[in-house]
Amino acid sequence: MADRSLRRWLPAIVAPIVVIGGALAVPLTAGAAGVPPEKSAQEVLELVGSNEVTALSGTVVQTSELGLPDLSGALSGTGTGGDSASSALELLTGSHTARVYLDEAQGARVQILDSMAERDIIAGPDGVWFYDSSEDTATHLALPDDPTGSAGTDGSQSDATDTVPTPAALAEHFLDAIEPSTAVSVDNTSVVAGRSAYDLVLTPDSADTLIAAVTIAVDSETGLPLSVAVTAKGQSAAAFSVAFSDISFDTPDASLFSFTPPAGATVDEQLPHAYSLSTSANGEHDSHLGDLAKNVTVTGDAWASIVELPVGDLAAGASEESADPSGSASSLLDAATEKVDGGRVLSTSLLNVLLTDDGRILAGSVPVALLQAAAAD
Amino acid sequence: MTGNAGSNAFAPGALAIETHGLTKRFGSHLAVDSVDLAVPRGSVFGFLGPNGAGKTTTIRMLLGLVGATSGSISVLGQPMPASLASVLPRVGALVEGPAFYPFLSGAANLHRLDTADRSVDGATRSDRVAQALDRVGLGHAAGKKVKAYSLGMKQRLGLANALLAPRDLLVLDEPSNGLDPQGTREVRSLIRSLAADGTTVFVSSHLLAEIEQLCSHVAVMSSGRIVSQGTLDAVRDQDVSRIRVVTTDPVGALRVLADFGLEPSVATDESTADGDVRVVLAPVPATDPGHRTSGIQPEAIVAALVAAGVPVRGFTVEESSLEDRFVALTGEGFAIAEGHSVR
Amino acid sequence: MSDSPVSDSTLSASTAPGETASVRARPPRGLGLALLASELAILFRRTRTIAMLAALAAVPILIAVAVRVSSSGSSGRGPAFIDQITQNGLFVGVAGLILCIPLFLPLTVGVAAGDTIAGEASHGTLRYLLVAPAGRVRLLIVKFLGTVAFCIAAPLVVVLAGTVIGAILFPLGNVTLLSGDTVSISESLGRALLMSAYVSVSLIGLSAIGLFISTLTDTPVGAMAATIVISVAAQVVGSLDQLAWLHPWLFSYHWLGVVDMLRQPILWSSFGDNAILQLGYVIVFGALAYSRFVTKSILS
Repeated sequence: MADRSLRRWLPAIVAPIVVIGGALAVPLTAGAAGVPPEKSAQEVLELVGSNEVTALSGTVVQTSELGLPDLSGALSGTGTGGDSASSALELLTGSHTARVYLDEAQGARVQILDSMAERDIIAGPDGVWFYDSSEDTATHLALPDDPTGSAGTDGSQSDATDTVPTPAALAEHFLDAIEPSTAVSVDNTSVVAGRSAYDLVLTPDSADTLIAAVTIAVDSETGLPLSVAVTAKGQSAAAFSVAFSDISFDTPDASLFSFTPPAGATVDEQLPHAYSLSTSANGEHDSHLGDLAKNVTVTGDAWASIVELPVGDLAAGASEESADPSGSASSLLDAATEKVDGGRVLSTSLLNVLLTDDGRILAGSVPVALLQAAAAD
Repeated sequence: MTGNAGSNAFAPGALAIETHGLTKRFGSHLAVDSVDLAVPRGSVFGFLGPNGAGKTTTIRMLLGLVGATSGSISVLGQPMPASLASVLPRVGALVEGPAFYPFLSGAANLHRLDTADRSVDGATRSDRVAQALDRVGLGHAAGKKVKAYSLGMKQRLGLANALLAPRDLLVLDEPSNGLDPQGTREVRSLIRSLAADGTTVFVSSHLLAEIEQLCSHVAVMSSGRIVSQGTLDAVRDQDVSRIRVVTTDPVGALRVLADFGLEPSVATDESTADGDVRVVLAPVPATDPGHRTSGIQPEAIVAALVAAGVPVRGFTVEESSLEDRFVALTGEGFAIAEGHSVR
Repeated sequence: MSDSPVSDSTLSASTAPGETASVRARPPRGLGLALLASELAILFRRTRTIAMLAALAAVPILIAVAVRVSSSGSSGRGPAFIDQITQNGLFVGVAGLILCIPLFLPLTVGVAAGDTIAGEASHGTLRYLLVAPAGRVRLLIVKFLGTVAFCIAAPLVVVLAGTVIGAILFPLGNVTLLSGDTVSISESLGRALLMSAYVSVSLIGLSAIGLFISTLTDTPVGAMAATIVISVAAQVVGSLDQLAWLHPWLFSYHWLGVVDMLRQPILWSSFGDNAILQLGYVIVFGALAYSRFVTKSILS
């Protein structure tokens, strides 16, 4: 009898082990496709260059472990204008999930899946729309040129990177920066979004930078970068990563790229030239702050570059782009920064920003001491 | 005082219920201690014992509600609880009082419990429910919510539930509980008619007189053990008689009776007109030939009482009854105290 | 103690024709779905169940009436869903459903699931069901399916009551999804039903927990309270960032993912992830309930 009753308790012991074990094991083995043939770093880079993906739909997950203080409370009170400084900061904290639809012939759509809300960027034949469900506001950017031409698509892509960088955009960004200062290698293969990928690892030679490595997972079939992870020195987990959690290369439904603002929504029409201005200056690291780029000076090499700009421009840029009073942005900065010699510093594991007492801003992926030295020059 | 010839008088196949070494332990408490039951098929089997003796726990083990700590059970020739699913449809049961959904009518309750039995025909369900209700005299209250039922009506409904399908064995725990004398008589008659059809009836009761009238076989349980088991006559006949002394000196009477090797006690529940007068009782197991107290002559006891100076107001040798036997076996007079047995 | 047959007026001693002295063993017929039907009938005809569903239906009705009485134009404050009600009555059901998710729905499911076994035990009917014999595993499955039926009914009642009262009090029109796309009335009704289904699935893990707790005790109120406390505790844990590693394991983790049904296209992976999570809870707590119940001594 006791024996039987013991046996009847077996399911109660086995089931949790199987379920929890299964839940832990499935992500490790899921989509364990065959191991692709070995490739050198050069071959993988060529694979990226030959990437001819013209249509995809997928889910992108971005996570940040930058060591920033949690600003979600302070951020929620501020506006959610897509270009504002607070929106950019918000993306740097916590994790975000976005769905990405791309069809070179039709346009692109990025949906940032917020809790109980959604922000959409739709670039289609009739220009670029930004829709924020929590505010029920739609912002329209009509395109000056041929609306169905490639210009629309290009614009949409860079617009998308403004909000959630796609793996492709980030990878290109880092591949551009490959210089003698960087060691490029293919470490091993991994599985991203159920696809086998080459892990392209960029290791800065410079001892001055905070960045330990940038790992780009390149799809072994298409050459499309599937994930980008930036690791800070002294950390094992990625400080910042963007990765597809699922991806399909089927052409998305064309209806996704046309957008009609819902009845009752606040619609804001923006002039095309304001947009062109911000994109044309957008050649630097800080693409979010494109308007500020004109006054920027850059010192240092490659990974250890330090960007410097006068603080007055930040306030002007912020108030120009968003409806927020600049006071809100500065109080936010006060909350995030700490006092050091010569000013206040915003410190993260990948990036340090120094706001000097004389009103300049210096930023770079370098230790605070280097920023202070640069400020003293 | 353990089992007797009766328990081994039946071939295994002829037993409706058979247990060997059935034991149930709740923590450190031994509720049922190595019980060997043998209930012959076709018998009306009385299961007696004071409250807390382990009767209900035994019944729960027979029906698979409680797992046994050790020992084996066989019901209708099938091992239990392994064959629960095939055996229980042939068993009707009333376990520790009726229990129903108070918010449903009597008929709806039976309907509900009948759906639990996969072996019955759903098409005949309503007919069988109506028949069972008529059989226990509840036809008129079929549509009434059970919360409006009296205790007696609930008891009848419980019996109706046991009779929803043809049964080989009925296990009835205190079937007359809460019934008035008329109802008690009806239940007795019902049990007789079922037994006449060949159904084995296993009745647990503390209504000793009723068991005596109804049962062909009896087992007496006390403190988790079966203290006597067999045909009614075999159990009852073992008992001899009881000496009843009415006196104003119970202490003296006790001493004298004890000198004879008896186990006398002062009756606590018999009132006499005079407050000083007490009744002293002593069972005499004299028919057992091997017993050392055999052959005690009542007149010798009277002489001894008188010689000891005990004022005897009355002296009776009472005939044996199941009740006496029960008290002798269990050492308890609860059934008398509860006042149910004599109406 | 006379026993004259003449007095046997009510108890019929007659034997049904054809009844023999020995009853043949009857093999089980079919799946025995009659017990499930009986369980559902008892559950949904019970005053308590009807009262709980009525209380749930009252939530969207109260919202709609309150908004109708107080609305003097869009305030721009409060949850976006509440704001949309005034423009489109179809949002009443959705708003009511979302408001019911954290507390009201788990509360009613806790009552239904906590009552399953413990309620039968407290009535004493558990022993009669088991000697019928219902079979312990079968009874457990039937009880679980009963709570699943309740999980389906409860959000459906909220959505339907909300949609009806919304149609009465407010204008109807095409519905704006979270993605900014607009869908027709008929599609939006389909989405509302899909949200209802999502919430039903969301509650199944909690029902499995309630079923297990219900096998532990003979006191239904205790099982109900424990189940409800667990649902609240899970949501509290889910709101603590310090326990972020635990969040994906909580049965309430995907509860608010119901709004993913309001995206264009529908975020089916949210539905799937939720279903898998709930299935995990059903397997684990179903196994616990099984082991507990088949070994349980029925002493009630």
